[in-house]
Amino acid sequence: MATETKPATEDVKIDLFEDDDEFEEFEINGEWEVKEEGKDATQQWEDDWDDDDVNDDFSLQLRKELENNTQKN
Amino acid sequence: MAYLSMGEAHRRITEYLNRFSDAVSFQDGASLKQLLSVSSNSPSLLSLADSLNVFQKQDANRLIKQSDKYSQFGEIIAPFFRCLQSYRIGNLLDAYHAFEKAANAFLPEFRNWESAWALEALYVIAYEIRILAERADRELASNGKSPEKLKGAGSFLMKVFGVLAGKGPKRVGALYVTCQLFKIYFKLGTVHLCRSVIRSIETARIFDFEEFPKRDKVTYMYYTGRLEVFNENFPAADHKLSYALMHCNPHHEANIRMILKYLIPVKLSIGILPKDRLLEKYGLVEYSNVVQALKRGDLRLLRQALQEHEDRFLRSGVFLVLEKLELQVYQRLLKKIYIIQKQRDPSKAHQMKLEVIVKALKWLEIDMDLDEVECIVAILIYKNLVKGYFAHKSKVVVLSKQDPFPKLNAKPVNS
Repeated sequence: MATETKPATEDVKIDLFEDDDEFEEFEINGEWEVKEEGKDATQQWEDDWDDDDVNDDFSLQLRKELENNTQKN
Repeated sequence: MAYLSMGEAHRRITEYLNRFSDAVSFQDGASLKQLLSVSSNSPSLLSLADSLNVFQKQDANRLIKQSDKYSQFGEIIAPFFRCLQSYRIGNLLDAYHAFEKAANAFLPEFRNWESAWALEALYVIAYEIRILAERADRELASNGKSPEKLKGAGSFLMKVFGVLAGKGPKRVGALYVTCQLFKIYFKLGTVHLCRSVIRSIETARIFDFEEFPKRDKVTYMYYTGRLEVFNENFPAADHKLSYALMHCNPHHEANIRMILKYLIPVKLSIGILPKDRLLEKYGLVEYSNVVQALKRGDLRLLRQALQEHEDRFLRSGVFLVLEKLELQVYQRLLKKIYIIQKQRDPSKAHQMKLEVIVKALKWLEIDMDLDEVECIVAILIYKNLVKGYFAHKSKVVVLSKQDPFPKLNAKPVNS
């Protein structure tokens, strides 16, 4: 009996056959200038963002919150 | 369709046959490529298809057989003609089947040609078989049948890969075919099949990766980078996706955007942030609040951002990567508490009461009791995001006086 129910579960799932991020084809002889490469996107990163600055809004509110609580205790 | 006389149809078909035979005898790969680009919808192929549809099939075959210089390629050209005809009238399943026959007849010819002159034509065949298979599958699925042609195209391309992957001048084409295979496997969700081709590309001592064409290297690094993201191998993912980003054709902004879509979560997980300009330029603002949350130590914002874009992050498979940023956000929050304490009373700053952390979290609308917070801090210490130890009885974490919050320095969080 169990085998009879099987075909019903084998519906065609067309939406499975998708990759949202399929890379566009480059032109077959599409070589491009080295100079042009990656000037922009590769230089847009920060690795020294983790500073000791606590003067942003979030930190000021956090400070207020902690000080309020200290006073209450 | 404009009226086409039999005479004109005959002329066009013969012209194609001559161009095909000339392209092979002069070893003119660029011309041969154009003669095989079904989906390019080039005017000359469209008019050829119309001519073939005026002719009877037998008559077209008779034209092929009328001369040796055509008939020696009959097993390629005859099914190719059928493919064009079916394609023209929108019968994509038949078009695929016929193209597959032509492609299978082309491959042994290509293997026998000593030099690599016909590589461009082979590229087009590899591309076309994938595109036609995708369209045939769509047709099958819309008729309620099981779509299986793309899988078949994958098997054919494995044969092509086998022909190219050996020693010799044709090897330079192996990476293009690899990239077509990646596109198929990613679409079918069978990415484990990428492994054997990757091994063959990366272990080959006889061929330096850098000698492949740039467009194929970029595509290859994009796909293998995505695989490394799935495997959570972030240093390797960073290397591959950064390579793709650096060398990508700057005019292909959609491709740059796709690279960044995967590279950004990788960079975040090793403690490197994209600048706002980058997110804006490529329309990747779904990452803006994630970045902001890391900068602030704002757990609530991180959770909101993940929830808001959950579908998108799940579809691209980066959700779990982003979820793990939570530990870095905790680290940042603790560091802020520490700096605030230090400004108030430097001598006691390195003793952090767990209840202070509970309060900060409560302010962020995250309810956790002392035990839960202790558990989180224990994980932070274990992962080397915090240096210190517990004074368990007094519910205080005693922070190291030296570098209590070690930076990741472009390395992933310890696992």
